[in-house]
Amino acid sequence: MNSVERLDVHPRIITALKKARLTSQASILCMSAADLQRTTKLSHFDVSILLKAVSYALPSPAMKTALSLHLGSSKGQRLSLGCQILDGCLHGGILKQGITEVAGESSSGKTQICLQLCLTVQLPEEKGGLGGAGHPVAIIPQVEGVMICVGWGAVYISTEDVFPSKRLHQLTQYFVKNQTNLLNSSINPSDNIFIEHAADVDDLRNIITHRLPVLLNRGTIKLVIIDSIAALFRVEYSFSETSKRAKVLRSFGAQLHKLSHQHRIPFVCVNQVSDVIQSETKRVKWKSQSCYSCPGLGMVQYVDYAIDVT
Amino acid sequence: MQRELSTFPLSPNYLQKLSIAGYNTAEDLKDVSPIELNLSLEREEALRIIQTVRSTTEPQQSSKTNQITSSNNVPGSKNAYDILLQEQSYGSIVTFCEQLDDMLGGGVPVGKITEFCGAPGIGKTQIGIQLAVDVQIPDEFGGLNGEAIYIDTEGSFIVERVVDIAAAAVKHMEHVAHSSEIDETERSLQTEAMRNFQVENILSKIYVFRCHDYMQLIALSHVLPDFLLEHSKVKLIVVDSIAFQFRHDFDDLALRTRLLNGLAQSFIKMACENQLAVVLMNQMTTRVKTSQLGQSHLIPALGLQTCTSRLHVKK
Repeated sequence: MNSVERLDVHPRIITALKKARLTSQASILCMSAADLQRTTKLSHFDVSILLKAVSYALPSPAMKTALSLHLGSSKGQRLSLGCQILDGCLHGGILKQGITEVAGESSSGKTQICLQLCLTVQLPEEKGGLGGAGHPVAIIPQVEGVMICVGWGAVYISTEDVFPSKRLHQLTQYFVKNQTNLLNSSINPSDNIFIEHAADVDDLRNIITHRLPVLLNRGTIKLVIIDSIAALFRVEYSFSETSKRAKVLRSFGAQLHKLSHQHRIPFVCVNQVSDVIQSETKRVKWKSQSCYSCPGLGMVQYVDYAIDVT
Repeated sequence: MQRELSTFPLSPNYLQKLSIAGYNTAEDLKDVSPIELNLSLEREEALRIIQTVRSTTEPQQSSKTNQITSSNNVPGSKNAYDILLQEQSYGSIVTFCEQLDDMLGGGVPVGKITEFCGAPGIGKTQIGIQLAVDVQIPDEFGGLNGEAIYIDTEGSFIVERVVDIAAAAVKHMEHVAHSSEIDETERSLQTEAMRNFQVENILSKIYVFRCHDYMQLIALSHVLPDFLLEHSKVKLIVVDSIAFQFRHDFDDLALRTRLLNGLAQSFIKMACENQLAVVLMNQMTTRVKTSQLGQSHLIPALGLQTCTSRLHVKK
């Protein structure tokens, strides 16, 4: 993909490129036209031809009209939260793709929402989930040769404290009672929830760059939850390291975006809120901030949709 | 301009000298002055060669510019009055927000670059989509009747939202058509135009490019001029956002600045050559002052110096 030899240009241009030791397409695109002219000693016109050829050779996404995007998206566009009032606020739930941020004060119900999502994601599409028509969907051979049935599932990456399995168990019981007709009785919804614990930033990086992609490649995961993205960063970086922190956060955000787009699944990130003290007037005002400047961390720049729990 | 020099009416003697010196095509001679062309020729002869080549290759270009600048002898130059008239004829894209339109002098100007920056969740994407719909308002309503290109780098182009905005715009225009006090012929023209201004038509005229890294964005900036040739009705390019792909995993800051400037340059070129509006969305970054620890304020990320007008969207 990166070789310049396969470019659709005059051989004399390719020879000039080789002489200038420009071998990758990226290095050509990173140079300005004037720079290219100087290093390759090609004419202005040749350089413009070359830049076009390189641009066309790069694997770029095709143009789509908004209409084709609209027709391509199915009716059950969103993932339900399992609560009619919240679904009403959100036009039916969270987006099927991209990163959704859930921010709120402690004990406002962020984790509750996430657990609920882990369960509703397993429902078929017409019920607000992301599951396909048939259940179960995949049979994965185990190491010992035993086959087990797996439905559409979710990954829950927990960073703050131990995974609240007791609460999930309570929720599952209620969920199964209400949805018995929809779910195959042989499937226990909590079997489809994969839990991972990240103790520090490096751990989390390892998970989202190496282990998560492997799991996602199996194709049965329909939702990834990170609870919470901010907790680790708040502990590990001091005030003087904010720019470093922002940098790492940004690259995490980009990686999550990439995965979300590749596998066409939603990501949910839980975020904490920080208090902003305004002392403009004599009285010191405490304000629980969210959305305005940064809920906990400036993760928001990478978020498509933010839910503020109050 | 890759025309071989041998096809020009030049004597074989000159041609031979030119080819020995490495001049093969008309393009090679384009920026060469008679003095630079030292082929052991008299300067007058060199001048004649260059004039022959240029007179046969350039007349199409100069005649085009002459049409606009009627009373001008120097090709490529225009007087300020002509430019004023030209700009007024371009029009602008209304935002449907009166205060914003007033601020911008009637809407987002065509032929220029406008930057919107603001904190996340403030409504930049909303403005971008709204403009992509508004650029399509038919001539009969004083719109531009154009098409829009939407370059999405963040994945925030949510088609449901576009449908909602388009439906609202259609409803609004219908309301305008019914309530305005105009004569019958104009009204019938407007109702005729409304037939083509429906949600599905609007959606089919928004061309969406999804870029996943900055390389794709740069490649796209080289490819877009070709796309614009095929779709001459495009009057608006929205880049949402220009900063996103450059803000993560990018260590070489000098390279980043150069690439961003190059991108801005190619967008300016497109804006001028095709008479279209370019709207760039920019993110915000926090500047912490070292002198006053704890004091910080938001400034636009990746300062782009090239835009004509910059709008801070604030709550």
